[in-house]
Amino acid sequence: MLLYASLILLVVFAILVCFFRDLLYAAVSLALASVMLSVVLFQYGANIAAVFELSVCAGLITVLFVSTVSMTKDSDQANESRLPAYFLPFILVLFLGLDFFLVKWLAGSTLVGAGFPATPGLNFQNVFWGQRMTDIVGQVSLILVGVFGILTIMRALSERRKHD
Amino acid sequence: MTEETILLLLSGLLLFMVGVYLMFAYRNLLRVILGVEVMAKGVTLVLLAAGVFRGSVEYIQALIVTFIIVETILAAVVLAITFVAQRIYNSLDIRNLSKLKG
Repeated sequence: MLLYASLILLVVFAILVCFFRDLLYAAVSLALASVMLSVVLFQYGANIAAVFELSVCAGLITVLFVSTVSMTKDSDQANESRLPAYFLPFILVLFLGLDFFLVKWLAGSTLVGAGFPATPGLNFQNVFWGQRMTDIVGQVSLILVGVFGILTIMRALSERRKHD
Repeated sequence: MTEETILLLLSGLLLFMVGVYLMFAYRNLLRVILGVEVMAKGVTLVLLAAGVFRGSVEYIQALIVTFIIVETILAAVVLAITFVAQRIYNSLDIRNLSKLKG
């Protein structure tokens, strides 16, 4: 029951992101969607992923987003059209139809069988540090790419200011 | 496929489509980034559905953690680009990005 409720709330909060005119409300709605996603992850026993989702996606990304919104609120946003929000209910019906069609096709596909039994004796530590060690190298590289990327972008802005 | 796996797949695909709509329907850069984030939520749900279906949530958990890191780095870098573009053009219109020189 809790699974269904959290999934419905997740979809509702994600759709509300399109309807809010104020970007701060949209960012908060996205954070609530992340909270619901972490509840879903907890229910399936993916505890580490749920904690990551809750702290990073619902916390860090929301903070970054709200900071950027407040730093850029003096810009010209007045000419944004409301048409996409008005069209969204029709588009959602279309998406739902397409969604049902895709999942029905996938459920009946010969590629997908009747499911697999749970693999015994697996735990996250063994999988993450033992079998997926290369992922950690990729993650560290990505974090470095992010840090150096942001530094380069900000340096370009400060050099431009000095030049002006 | 169990009822729960189908429900996870349905929600994940719906979120992905809503994210794609947000990306293509709006010109505001911040809304485009919100669209990417909504898409990422959908992808996480589909990954979870695959793990539940295969009966190995531990494997998929490691992949989800990696994906969350990718998503965060992407959001941070694109928000920095948005900030710089707004400082240069005083607008958040995505069409201005085509004027940026590398």
